[in-house]
Amino acid sequence: MEHPILFISIILEKLGLPVPHGLVGHTFLEQLCAPYMTYTWLVMAFLFLVSKLTLGNLEMVPGKGQNFWELVIGGMDDFFADNMGREMADKFFPMIATFALYIAVGNLIGLIPGFMSPTSSLNTTLALTLIVWISHHIIGFKEHGLNYYKHFIGPVWWLIPLLLPIELISNLARLLSLSIRLFGNIMAKETLLAILFMLAGSFFAPLPIMILGVLVSVVQAMVFVLLTVVYFSQAQAHAH
Amino acid sequence: MSGVKKEFVQLLANYGHVGFTFVASIVIGLGGGIYLDQKVFDDRTSPWFTFIGLAFGIAAGYKTLLEILWRNKEKQEKPKRED
Repeated sequence: MEHPILFISIILEKLGLPVPHGLVGHTFLEQLCAPYMTYTWLVMAFLFLVSKLTLGNLEMVPGKGQNFWELVIGGMDDFFADNMGREMADKFFPMIATFALYIAVGNLIGLIPGFMSPTSSLNTTLALTLIVWISHHIIGFKEHGLNYYKHFIGPVWWLIPLLLPIELISNLARLLSLSIRLFGNIMAKETLLAILFMLAGSFFAPLPIMILGVLVSVVQAMVFVLLTVVYFSQAQAHAH
Repeated sequence: MSGVKKEFVQLLANYGHVGFTFVASIVIGLGGGIYLDQKVFDDRTSPWFTFIGLAFGIAAGYKTLLEILWRNKEKQEKPKRED
């Protein structure tokens, strides 16, 4: 399902750059100009510029912009500390908060006509998920050393043949469910909006779905962050 | 956000992914079983590893379900102990 109008792609085409007509291109330059890549950069630039403009000079008595960020960052910090403890929250706050802001903005940007959610491509969500999955194993190895394997064999030795495959499968399922959930929800929202816009755009048919889309975007960003926090704290905790 | 709305979003985040995680476990288990049958053992053991993989996948699905339940039970009990 192609989007009707993606303004970055049109600008790039006018500049003479090859924009792929399928989902991904074949040459390196075409892959760089794929819509999900260009909109990823747009989200990155947006986050960078907005935080630079609002937090350029910090003040003791916060203004409007600084107040907003203090609310967002403070809320996230409390949320992480509730779920994985003060120490872990301080250590991993930059990483997980970046994920949260990027996913939330990336989801919400797709609701504006002419924009596309970078998270509606499996490439983006799989990349995010791989980072989380690998880093939760690294946390486990760092915390427990080679004893980390005890997380996968259960409490008693005669249950190992039963529990080892179960634990391995449920660990691999994290990879699948975390990436495909975010991708599926956002892609479904975008496709539904595009179809409704084509069918009855002049009767404002996409509006109710857009309201639902705001909820879905926020909830999916929160689910991703909550599960990241849970996996990190489980990898760090002692084996049962 | 108001209190009720915040709680609603948090409940959605906590329990909204139950179905998907369950299905993902079963798919991974079944896919692993089919791979073992068809690629590793060249159809000589078919269909046994498929069934074994499916069984392990379903068990893993229930395990993730129980983990979600236990985690939220612990979280609900914690504030009571602090009181």
